[in-house]
Amino acid sequence: MACLFLLPAIALLIAFMVYPIFAVFQISLFKTDKLGRIIRFIGVGNFEILFRRKVFWEVLLRSVIWTVLAVSVKTLMGLVIGLLLNVEFKGRKLARSLVILPWASSIPISAMLWQWTFNDEYGLLNYTLKATGIWSNPPHWLGYPLPAFFANLYVDIWIGIPFMALVILAGLQSISPDLYESAQIDGATMWQRFYYITLPLLKRVLLVVTLLSTLWTFNDFNVIYIMTKGGPANTTDILVTFIYKYAFTFLRFGPAAAIAVITFAILSVISVLYAFFYFKAEARG
Amino acid sequence: MKGNKRLLIIVYILTIVILLVLLFPFFVMLSTSFKSVQEVYTSPPHWIPHKFAWRNFTYVWKRYPLAKYFINSLIIASFATILNIIVCIPAAYAVSRLRFRGRKSLLFSFLVVQMFSPVIVVISLFQVVVKLGLHNRLSSLILVNTVFTLAFSIWMLNGYFSGISMEIEEAALIDGCSRLRTIVHIILPIAMPGIVTVIIYTFIWSWNEFMFALTFIDSMARRPLTLGLYHFVGRWETQWHYLMTAAFMAVIPVILLFTLIEKQLVKGLSGGAVKE
Repeated sequence: MACLFLLPAIALLIAFMVYPIFAVFQISLFKTDKLGRIIRFIGVGNFEILFRRKVFWEVLLRSVIWTVLAVSVKTLMGLVIGLLLNVEFKGRKLARSLVILPWASSIPISAMLWQWTFNDEYGLLNYTLKATGIWSNPPHWLGYPLPAFFANLYVDIWIGIPFMALVILAGLQSISPDLYESAQIDGATMWQRFYYITLPLLKRVLLVVTLLSTLWTFNDFNVIYIMTKGGPANTTDILVTFIYKYAFTFLRFGPAAAIAVITFAILSVISVLYAFFYFKAEARG
Repeated sequence: MKGNKRLLIIVYILTIVILLVLLFPFFVMLSTSFKSVQEVYTSPPHWIPHKFAWRNFTYVWKRYPLAKYFINSLIIASFATILNIIVCIPAAYAVSRLRFRGRKSLLFSFLVVQMFSPVIVVISLFQVVVKLGLHNRLSSLILVNTVFTLAFSIWMLNGYFSGISMEIEEAALIDGCSRLRTIVHIILPIAMPGIVTVIIYTFIWSWNEFMFALTFIDSMARRPLTLGLYHFVGRWETQWHYLMTAAFMAVIPVILLFTLIEKQLVKGLSGGAVKE
């Protein structure tokens, strides 16, 4: 009976997820034509093509920097917002439901929204920065490599903050207030209470969500593809947008599959870690 | 007590600043969607339109096949959701209730699979879709959206099913209820909140999906909303006010639905790490 119940789900997953991964591994070892059809076996030839190109190493390095920067800022901001919303004040419920909005909104549409906001001449971001005196000479965001990278990064962070904040808030609310009270009686300062009570008790939550956030950030195709298409001149590409461009813009399916295999290997390690700690947290909780 | 008041003021200031930063693009969307074309291309731009162009909201429907895009998205998301529910309920029941070898590792692999990046498989999935003759058809998107939300749905429902006490089910079975009747009349009603969560999750995921649509759909008449809006951004000029008006209408239902399941998502994704 278990078999019968599981069959449709497993069949779908195998046909449209597991088999395509095997097929990508296969394509990565072959020379392909412009439609992605296999021509002949070339072993690790596609990988060699990639490794010889400087731009591949740049994209790989950028993916790592992208992920590390974005996840650290998201975690830090999530912690700040989580702590703020854990304080009892009037309007807290409203604040909580407003904080969710960037996560609740559709990511592709948010990316288009930001693309317009970043517009140098008519966009409201640079105008607001100038008018309020926050930044008198802001860059032309999407036209130049470094500003474009940070613009993309900012949007990715903006989308990712609410989830972090909500999970951390839930974690904070599960800490018993008695702990803080007795620490206060013992004369612990606010900082000491945070460092010796809050942080250690949040450790498990933080571990699981930073791993999850790492996966999402590393995979963020929509923001970069819609805002800059990896441009100007590949300077904002990360691995996932690079795979897509290689395949569907340059029609070089072999090397594209090779990048996909490398990306898959990296992602597998992170997702197994995530699943491992998730189970561990659940078993202990 | 005085220290507390000071803390409260700091909390208020910080919260307001953070909210201003987080909500800024939504303000831009609202403001732009009411601007006339002259005001959109005014430099320096205005925060609030000097004259509200209400007609944007009707004109955008006439100028673009927006209704078509909405219908396509609705078809894709609805069918993906139905298919997902039909497949995931029995699977989730099996992993949570029936004892069989490899159950634990199957659950583990669902959690890992849920994290697969669609971009990694899109190359070969594109070939599968072409081979099945589904290229440039809405059914290709229905299918992939079902599959890419399936693992998480099973995972979520498994959590709900496991929370239902075994005794209720056993009592029904002893009373001569068949397994199927037990599931339909006892398990499913109790697990309804979980099922609703899965339905909304799949619907939103499919509604927002962009990359597969970009790859599989060629003709304008079959574009879902995300892809349709993406093509508003032209090479030479973009009618930003119409894009923002359309975006506004496309995003409202998603946001409303999302707020209904946000708490369950937080719990499901962060695991036992978070207790209520």
